[in-house]
Amino acid sequence: MALGFNLESNSGGGNFLPICKFDARSGRMFRRDRDNGENVDVDITKTFKAVIDFENLEVGFINFNTGGAPHFAMATYGDTMPDKPSPDHKPGVRFVAKLASACGGDVREMASNAKAFLVGVDQLHNDYLAGLAKNAGQLPVVVLADTVPVVSGEGSKRTTNYSPVFEITGWVKRPDDLGGSTRVAATPKATPPATGANKVSAPSKKAPADDEDFG
Amino acid sequence: MSNFEKYGIEHLSPSSCNLFTASPAMFVLQKCLGKKTSVGAAAHRGSAVEHGLAHFLTTGDAAGAVSLAKNEFATLTAMIGDPRQEKEAAAIADMVMTAIAETKDYGKPSSMQGKIEYKVEGLSVPLIGYYDFEFEDHGVLIDLKTTHALPSKISTNHARQVALYVAARGDNLDARITYVTSKKSATYQLENKREHVQALEKIALTIQKFIGISDDPYELASLVVPDVDTFYFSDPITRQMAFEIWGL
Repeated sequence: MALGFNLESNSGGGNFLPICKFDARSGRMFRRDRDNGENVDVDITKTFKAVIDFENLEVGFINFNTGGAPHFAMATYGDTMPDKPSPDHKPGVRFVAKLASACGGDVREMASNAKAFLVGVDQLHNDYLAGLAKNAGQLPVVVLADTVPVVSGEGSKRTTNYSPVFEITGWVKRPDDLGGSTRVAATPKATPPATGANKVSAPSKKAPADDEDFG
Repeated sequence: MSNFEKYGIEHLSPSSCNLFTASPAMFVLQKCLGKKTSVGAAAHRGSAVEHGLAHFLTTGDAAGAVSLAKNEFATLTAMIGDPRQEKEAAAIADMVMTAIAETKDYGKPSSMQGKIEYKVEGLSVPLIGYYDFEFEDHGVLIDLKTTHALPSKISTNHARQVALYVAARGDNLDARITYVTSKKSATYQLENKREHVQALEKIALTIQKFIGISDDPYELASLVVPDVDTFYFSDPITRQMAFEIWGL
């Protein structure tokens, strides 16, 4: 995938933000709220709209099955991939999103190592990179346009997951409460100049003037 | 006294810059210690074929071009005792004919073996070189390279060399490098001329800085190490020199 997972080790959870999660098994997007000390998942599939902080996208390995808090071995996209800490860690992504007021209006962390989710995020990130040239210094406004079933396995092991289909509907400057920082676009790395591999032939001899054609 | 004057270096050239890049030890040996080293039969092969081609392009005499090239090669290699001499000699005639086939349609060159001089800011000696053929009518400058294996693109060293010629002659010239083997040929158009000249300028300034480290050539020699497996040291006399200087 274009996100590469070829990036440097940088473990740690950072700030504890409330989360937003995509359940690949049901193809639904949830905002997890706390109500009287209880987790409450609010379905925002139909209303999901957010400014995604892809400038600070992290990739690496995540283990959600720790029996406690998930463990992250992440690096900022573009740096070197960390070592995989354990067989239980799977490739994953983590990023921060500012939800639109219709679906919560606050800043949330999203992280997943579900393949179906990563497929959708990868495509979204490709769209982000493609649009960045014309929207330098801005972040994408993203909606969940659809979910598509992804069937894997056979017989009794046949399962269906859902990949999110995200769509960039606009670009905005970084919201103040999103935190992080806008990266200055890196100057493209200079590369050694090509020497030349185009074969050329000697100039052809000039054809004699053809007076008859033009009277 | 400039860094170059200390060693009696009056100018640099694309070949001396390329030499420093490829083998700093050989550069020190030749330019700082003033040792004469043999260039080998392959280097003379190029000169001989170029001589023959120049004859053809100016006279149209292919047989004479081959004969001239063979004689030139025999003369240049008479004293060097390179074991590859016979192999190189056998390839001369075919290389000349291949070169003729590749370049005959350019017509008569407007100038050949033209000297260029290029000044680099901050460099106390000029860069000097000699281009092979210029065809003013076509706005084309061609350098001829002989080889036993036809390359698929211009080598970096050749690119820098020809880029310098064009920079000195006028950037609007179409710079080309014609590679010929005894069977095949290809002419490639040089790209990124400006960048290649800048590379050569950097190398020249690096040489200036390097030789400025010391007035003692043996101290400079102590800063580099020869790779005696390269062709630069294949000649037994040169190999012996390396052993005496570096103990390697």
